[in-house]
Amino acid sequence: MKIVKEALAGTLESSDLLVKVSPGSGTGLEVVISSEVMQQFGLQIDRVVRDTLARLGVTAGLVVVEDKGALDCAIQARVQTAVMRGAEAQTIDWSALS
Amino acid sequence: MTDELDFYAVDPATSARERRDIRALLGRCGLDYEEHIQVFVVCRDAGRLVACAGLESNIVKCCAIDPDLRGGSLSLTLLSEVVHLAYERGHSHLFLYTRPENVSFFQGCGFYALAEVPGYVTLMENTPVGIRAYCDRLRAQRPRGLRPDARIGGVVINANPFTLGHQYLVKLAAAQCDWLHLFVVSEDVSFVSYRDRFALVEQGVRGIERLTLHHGSQYMVSRATFPDYFFKEKGVVGDCCTAIDLLLFRNHIAPALGITHRFVGTEPFCETTRKYNADMKFWLQGAGSTAPAVTVIEEARTRSGGTPISASEVRRLLRSRDLDRIRALVPAPTFELLREKYLSKILPFAPDPLGHGGEPDAPARRAVAAGI
Repeated sequence: MKIVKEALAGTLESSDLLVKVSPGSGTGLEVVISSEVMQQFGLQIDRVVRDTLARLGVTAGLVVVEDKGALDCAIQARVQTAVMRGAEAQTIDWSALS
Repeated sequence: MTDELDFYAVDPATSARERRDIRALLGRCGLDYEEHIQVFVVCRDAGRLVACAGLESNIVKCCAIDPDLRGGSLSLTLLSEVVHLAYERGHSHLFLYTRPENVSFFQGCGFYALAEVPGYVTLMENTPVGIRAYCDRLRAQRPRGLRPDARIGGVVINANPFTLGHQYLVKLAAAQCDWLHLFVVSEDVSFVSYRDRFALVEQGVRGIERLTLHHGSQYMVSRATFPDYFFKEKGVVGDCCTAIDLLLFRNHIAPALGITHRFVGTEPFCETTRKYNADMKFWLQGAGSTAPAVTVIEEARTRSGGTPISASEVRRLLRSRDLDRIRALVPAPTFELLREKYLSKILPFAPDPLGHGGEPDAPARRAVAAGI
């Protein structure tokens, strides 16, 4: 999927995360993570976000994550929702993340 | 606190009750009610208004939580709500002003500090890559092959409209520099549209060597960098509103382009301008920042028939339909455009000298006051 506009998913509440996606200015994919648990889980959050993006076929854009200690499944869901909003996806491939 | 917290958006112009309650809450939190806010997110706890956050375009303002309900998760919900509301309204790049002691709170809500006037105010934006990406783009436009000790100038103009005075300042600055970076204020709140202002500047500086013309940005003389309100201490407002803009220039923009000198025209009559120029020297050259100092060079304005040329004078003459005198103050393309397009648009007796249609015009007004 290609991110064509700015989009948002999630909240800043505890155990959730806010994901912002935008087309970005460069050609590549930039992922910026900020987390309350950066020290312990920063690398894992980054991996989950990048895996989810890869499965959705996102190869370019800017993805900013403000994490409040969300579980991996919540991270996947929020990233997926933000990407679908940002890609203006009409048909949803539910199996892409299963 | 009950579990019945109710969040919703309100247009303060349409509800006197909401307006009154918001005003009361802000008052309890030591904040003033802001008239230009287009929409508020409010939170009621069993009917009582306990939190609010307003949006004026892409600037988050009047963010307050009832002192009794602080320390819980209400603030994070409130900020989530206002960020979602802003996106729905087409604003993804948000700014906010806060006291420096509240910076860490907003950092927990996805905001990042841009510039701080210690003890008074900090400007923040809701992205970790905003100013960095902007400065990367500027850096990519650095001319190659300049000596390390090159004299690199910067000029910021609103050019509303572009006059012979602007042209004179740019030529004079270019002649004193190894390279000159010229920025046109991009906030589109002036009488002459940004598109037209930029096009006229582009024509007007053609042929001047060693010059790069840049589009302005949110980080330079914009609604975001020139706020017209902060806190109740009104005396602080005038000092801080230029400081944030100037610190952004010194700490981020000037280093990205290697700018060593900033040029500005003097305005011999206006007290506000003298103040702005003094502020410019203080914040760009003084000890208020660890970034390299940018030397401020004030150039006396060029004159026509004994009177300094200024864009506000041109607009005044346009209002009185005095085309002959305008001809002596502006380059030919500006004159043609004013006659063809803007003469019919200006209101003969507009109370606002900028002839602007009622919308708040603070950045443009200050840009004019600042001689840009």
